[in-house]
Amino acid sequence: MSGFICSRCRSSLCRVMRVQTRSITRSIHKDSSPPPRHNLVEIDDLLSRPSWSVRSLLPDPDVPPSEEITPAKLHHLLRLSALSPPKSPEEEAQMLKILHSQLHFVKDIQKVDTEDVEPLQRIRDETEEGIKDITIGMEQLKKAFEKEDVKGRNRRPRRRRGEDVDTKDVEDWDVLGAAGEKVELAGGKYFVVRSGKE
Amino acid sequence: MARIPPSVLRRYLFGGHLPTGGCLRPLRHCRPTAYSLSAKRYHGTQVSNTSAGPGFPETTIPFRKQLKDEAKKRKAEGTGKKSKQDNQKLDDWELTVGIEIHAQLNTARKLFSAAASSINDTPNTHVALFDVAMPGSQPTFQKETLIPALRAALALNCEIQKTSRFDRKHYFHWDQPAGYQITQYYEPFARDGYITLYAHDGIAAEDGEEVRIGIKQIQMEQDTAKTISQPGDIHLLDFNRVGLPLIEIITLPQIHHPSTAAALVRKVQILLNAVDACVLGMQSGGLRADVNVSVRRRDSTSSSTHSYGGIQGLGQRTEIKNLSSFKAVEDAIIAERDRQISVLESGGVIEGETRGWTIGSSETKRLRGKEGEVDYRYMPDPDLAPVVIGEDLIEHLRSTMGVLPDEEILGLTNEYGLTTKDAMSLVSLNEGGRVEYFMNVVDEYLLTSAEAEEDLKAVGRLIGNWVLHEMGGLTHDLADEENPLNMTPEGDCVIPAKQLAELVRFLSSEKITGRTAKKVLSQLFAAGLTGKEETAEGIIEREGLWFTPLSEAEYAQLATDVLGGNTKVVEEILAGKAGKINFLVGQVMRADQDGRVDATKARVVVVKLIEEQRRSAA
Repeated sequence: MSGFICSRCRSSLCRVMRVQTRSITRSIHKDSSPPPRHNLVEIDDLLSRPSWSVRSLLPDPDVPPSEEITPAKLHHLLRLSALSPPKSPEEEAQMLKILHSQLHFVKDIQKVDTEDVEPLQRIRDETEEGIKDITIGMEQLKKAFEKEDVKGRNRRPRRRRGEDVDTKDVEDWDVLGAAGEKVELAGGKYFVVRSGKE
Repeated sequence: MARIPPSVLRRYLFGGHLPTGGCLRPLRHCRPTAYSLSAKRYHGTQVSNTSAGPGFPETTIPFRKQLKDEAKKRKAEGTGKKSKQDNQKLDDWELTVGIEIHAQLNTARKLFSAAASSINDTPNTHVALFDVAMPGSQPTFQKETLIPALRAALALNCEIQKTSRFDRKHYFHWDQPAGYQITQYYEPFARDGYITLYAHDGIAAEDGEEVRIGIKQIQMEQDTAKTISQPGDIHLLDFNRVGLPLIEIITLPQIHHPSTAAALVRKVQILLNAVDACVLGMQSGGLRADVNVSVRRRDSTSSSTHSYGGIQGLGQRTEIKNLSSFKAVEDAIIAERDRQISVLESGGVIEGETRGWTIGSSETKRLRGKEGEVDYRYMPDPDLAPVVIGEDLIEHLRSTMGVLPDEEILGLTNEYGLTTKDAMSLVSLNEGGRVEYFMNVVDEYLLTSAEAEEDLKAVGRLIGNWVLHEMGGLTHDLADEENPLNMTPEGDCVIPAKQLAELVRFLSSEKITGRTAKKVLSQLFAAGLTGKEETAEGIIEREGLWFTPLSEAEYAQLATDVLGGNTKVVEEILAGKAGKINFLVGQVMRADQDGRVDATKARVVVVKLIEEQRRSAA
């Protein structure tokens, strides 16, 4: 930290020190007993001992990983996520170790008290106007109602079928371009998927 | 393959007998095959050779007879299959069924992309980038899909939730490119509805006149791609169907009989069709049902600890998928109930698994056990905004739904005097065209009314008979097989309503006989098909079919002839058997070929003649 302080900072610092000393002296004069010195904490003392470390987010390397994730459970989770199973016991041990450390981190996060807090799903405009904007009412669906007829004595509405739907810029792209395997039959073009064992 | 002894071979080749046991079993216990039993060939070009082949232990009996004998024996022993009506209720156990129905919504576009919805179009021609989960593509909720969804929810008496949200249901399958299906798990758009089923809807007799099944919720979700499986583990995928809007209707487990379950699925299909929400039925794959079945003992509920939708004390349930028809629903529930009861009675435990049913089988098959259970990891979809439905839209849809099927049937039975069965047939024919036609004919008929007030019920019954039964039986070479009357859904057909009304008016005012009317009807039908313009009056004039009542002399002549031909009966009547007069009256009526005899007049004449005979004899 440079020893040079500009004049403006120096004057504001002086002001703060003066307020501090004034409050201390005031309190001294008010109470008969000496004030408990909570607010004047020893800053150096406070900063010398860490109260929290990032290392708490990682599991203790000396403690062996807990057995709550069994290899069977690991394989089940890998199947659910469509990930390939481990090819060797060493790889499995490595996976379990990483998973264990990730769970340790998650458990730490879960320690935060979220009682009565609604989980955030999306940052949206939740003002009255914002909600009114996304409300779907008669106005928004006017065009769709124009495409209906009322039929028969029962006065039942029916959507007109067979009318063209404008799908410009939606359907006109090479759908099978990214197919791994495709085939063209008399009926049309299809994607091909093989399900047998290789 | 082991060496077959020549004697066995000879028996099989000449007599069709297959050995049933091992080599130590005597050959005379051979099991006869169907071939050997059909000693007589009823049609075919081969000459039967039952006389050939040595050592036939028993005379061959015709196969049909053998089946009949076996059926009789089974019935006598009481081990035959119970008929469906008897198979509805069990004394010790109570069945509980909950149904999940997936129905395709009738929309122009898909749910989250602007691609067009289609039914059987060229494959892979209506696919948007988002439908195949192209990286970077985003869903855009198509608001128009709300209209049929809301109509379905209102028809099922649900409470529409103002705000509903979409969630992701994660699982991997080749027919779902994104790896998750977008559904509404936590906050569906409709909850707490109900559907009322009546006796005429086909519920079990044990459920009485009507039963009300609650609906837990209705949610919107995406459909998956269409898979065509080929031999060799090859599957062809058509992504036209992926992303189409579906609604899933989840009922409360309040169904206790299999035929009520089938009736519910049938009625839901009819209702959804009536409000234009879902127009494809189970036959075309537009409506699919999954069924949850559990049983519990009637007396105690100690072992039944499961609950669903607020209903407690249920047994462990299993889910049956792949049900493709109403009959399959009923059969599968019966089979699963019996299987669960036999497992529980033998001390076993029901596992919560997924089972499948194939038509024609007798038991459900396990598809997926506990180890194959999928954890769907439901999470709110962050890409989609919540759906906020305006009150004005709900009110508009509620007030413009039109007359629903139940109300329609009630109107036909209460005002038009039809039986419930006839009313149901009438509304189900020609996509509603037949009932429109019926009402048109009634209107035309009433226009030609001579009196001030006509009994609408009597008129309705009369015309209902003609529209439903008489017209239903018309055939002609030129007529289309599926729809011989060419009836449109609007109620127009080859016989104009005015003509039929005129014809029935002539009949009811006794200007023509019933037989004549039927003849004229088929002539009108033929004329309509060939494009000729004919009126009922024209035909009757041309063919001279006006009813001329018989004179007194003709009646007397007919009666005398009949009495002359039945002297024995006359003697019985004179002896005191007055009932036999009816027989004579019937004979008189039959005597006239054209059916011109009126029964009451004939009776009067016959009685008069008999009294004359009595007096002359005395």
